[in-house]
Amino acid sequence: MELRYFIIRRLLLLIPTLLGLVLLVFFLLRMFPDTYLVARFVNPKSPVPISVQYANAKAALGLNYPIFIQYFFYLKALFTGQWGTMSTSIYTGSVLKGIELYFPATIQLALFATILSIVIAIPLGTYIGARPNSVADQTGRVFSLAFYAMPVFLLGLLLQLLFGQNVIAGNPLGVLPIAGKFSFNAVGAIPPPWFDPSTGLTGPTHLPLFDALIHGDWKLAYSSFIYLILPVVTLTLSLLAAILRFIRAGMVDASNQEYVKTARSKGVPESLVIKRHVRKNALIPTVTVLGLLFAGLLGGVVVVETVFNYYGMGILALNAVINVAIYGVLGTTFVFGVTLMAANLIVDIAYAFIDPRIRY
Amino acid sequence: MVDTTVMQAKQLPVKKRHPKLEDYSHTFRLLLKNKLALVGMIITTFYFIIAFLDLVFPRYLGVTNASNLLSFSIPTAVTPIGPSFSHGLPGLLGYTEFYSHQYPLLTISLAAIKFDIGYSLFIVLIGAGIGTVIGAIAGFKGGYIDEILMRITDVFFSIPFLILALAFIFLLGRYIIMAVYALLIVWWPTYARLARGQALYIKSMKYVEAATASGASTVRNVFSHVLPNVLSPVFVQISLDLGSIMQLFAVLFYLGVISDPYFPELGNIISLGQNWLGAGLWWPVIIPGIFILLFTVSINLLGDGLRDVLDPKLRR
Repeated sequence: MELRYFIIRRLLLLIPTLLGLVLLVFFLLRMFPDTYLVARFVNPKSPVPISVQYANAKAALGLNYPIFIQYFFYLKALFTGQWGTMSTSIYTGSVLKGIELYFPATIQLALFATILSIVIAIPLGTYIGARPNSVADQTGRVFSLAFYAMPVFLLGLLLQLLFGQNVIAGNPLGVLPIAGKFSFNAVGAIPPPWFDPSTGLTGPTHLPLFDALIHGDWKLAYSSFIYLILPVVTLTLSLLAAILRFIRAGMVDASNQEYVKTARSKGVPESLVIKRHVRKNALIPTVTVLGLLFAGLLGGVVVVETVFNYYGMGILALNAVINVAIYGVLGTTFVFGVTLMAANLIVDIAYAFIDPRIRY
Repeated sequence: MVDTTVMQAKQLPVKKRHPKLEDYSHTFRLLLKNKLALVGMIITTFYFIIAFLDLVFPRYLGVTNASNLLSFSIPTAVTPIGPSFSHGLPGLLGYTEFYSHQYPLLTISLAAIKFDIGYSLFIVLIGAGIGTVIGAIAGFKGGYIDEILMRITDVFFSIPFLILALAFIFLLGRYIIMAVYALLIVWWPTYARLARGQALYIKSMKYVEAATASGASTVRNVFSHVLPNVLSPVFVQISLDLGSIMQLFAVLFYLGVISDPYFPELGNIISLGQNWLGAGLWWPVIIPGIFILLFTVSINLLGDGLRDVLDPKLRR
């Protein structure tokens, strides 16, 4: 089978998973009693009797229909952008708008961490895995185990302590800011029109680094870059540790295979053996776990956003839970689910690309 | 003459063989040979002993009212004292402070270990039990039961664990026990998939075919052939997951989702002490952090060792 057909089949498989995801979110919604869902529409001061208001609101929300019809209503609402409204301490308004404002920061952290850790992990893992039980290998194992086992918030706090500005007096390493997206001093006395001082958000991408670059504001771009370092490093270290463990195991496993021995015995240079025979096969099991690791990473992003006050969808979701904003919880859960599904899709396609066996 | 020899033969002590037990002791000896796994096992055992002591003889650890941090506190609003030998045993690892109360870090961390280990163990064991049985039955039965199960686990795996746990805590209520249920709901699919994969493999074995041919029912097949063989990968997974679950549990407290500020839990202790980090005081965060880290590292070492030992390919 060609890669093309594999991708089409994989895309079709996305539909039932997406419907299942919506079903789960719908289940979360419908587990709340009707009175709870209707409460927003009932006004006790209105001259209309409460029972009539209740019945009207119930009819308007479609709660009188059978449950599976309600599911289709929910699907329709979801795909036409009617995600409801939320009211939390950091954001009040339409859920969709809130996600549009805060989601870029989340995906930015996740993407930067993923790219950085893959770029570091492949050469480092190859180096370590090619020298099992050497000093480099043992050091690498200890560090990757420690960072793998460390909760993300602890790692973030540790990095804040070591590299945070004004945390420990007289610490020469303490140069990096520990909270926020950029310094308000970098904005200037008169904020530019693309900057909203009340929410601290910038347009059009809502990512301060890219927005500042688009508008040519180098001072703000530098500031947002500095503020991005610690959150991204925290996520990168935790993801890198996990990937490194798998690459190392894969390298050791692959270098015991018969074809590697054959390649060595026929006199292929060692560097070529590692590059062509060992590493290529070591990456296959690593790619399979990447989807699972990305799920962990998205959870880590929520924690890192909280630790570093880097306002993103994780903080939005958390606030929705704490402030009992039901549509906020459902919307953010759905978007996180879709993000993970997209990541899994990419991982599967990469898998089929690397390992031709999987396509057949 | 013949009779006496028979008598003697009968009186000879018959050495009863226990192949399962021999296998376990062999596994154990292999595990002891692996230095890192041994270290992991010793530290993990130590944690379990602390948790057990705390459960049975709380007085020895200075714990009086275990489920409330306030009972450990000294009401004085000063900057927390650092780790020192001059304040007796409780002050050995320093103090943390919040809402004008001083809390000895050693005592509250020891008290927290019981709850952390207890709840994590509960989640992992119950989750593994439910997931393994469901997965084994689905994998063995095949057909539409299997298909439905796989679609359900697909949905569970399509949302990040933490987000799903948050959503279920939102649904169930922000209490500790609800967090435990939420993590159970989040975690069982892992085991269901693992057990299903193994069950599919075992189903194709000759001895299962023989058992089916001689009239064994599905339930009998699953419980006497599939489950015993699924057990060792599940056991490895349990030991690896115990650390992850403890982390997730600590994260839920750290994020403030569970609204009980005085519950002794390591993540909670860190979150209460983290305001002191801005002032450059490291111990309110680092000391409870080390307690979490040491446990998760050692349980991972133990799990890795167990996997190596129980994997038939790497064994012997």
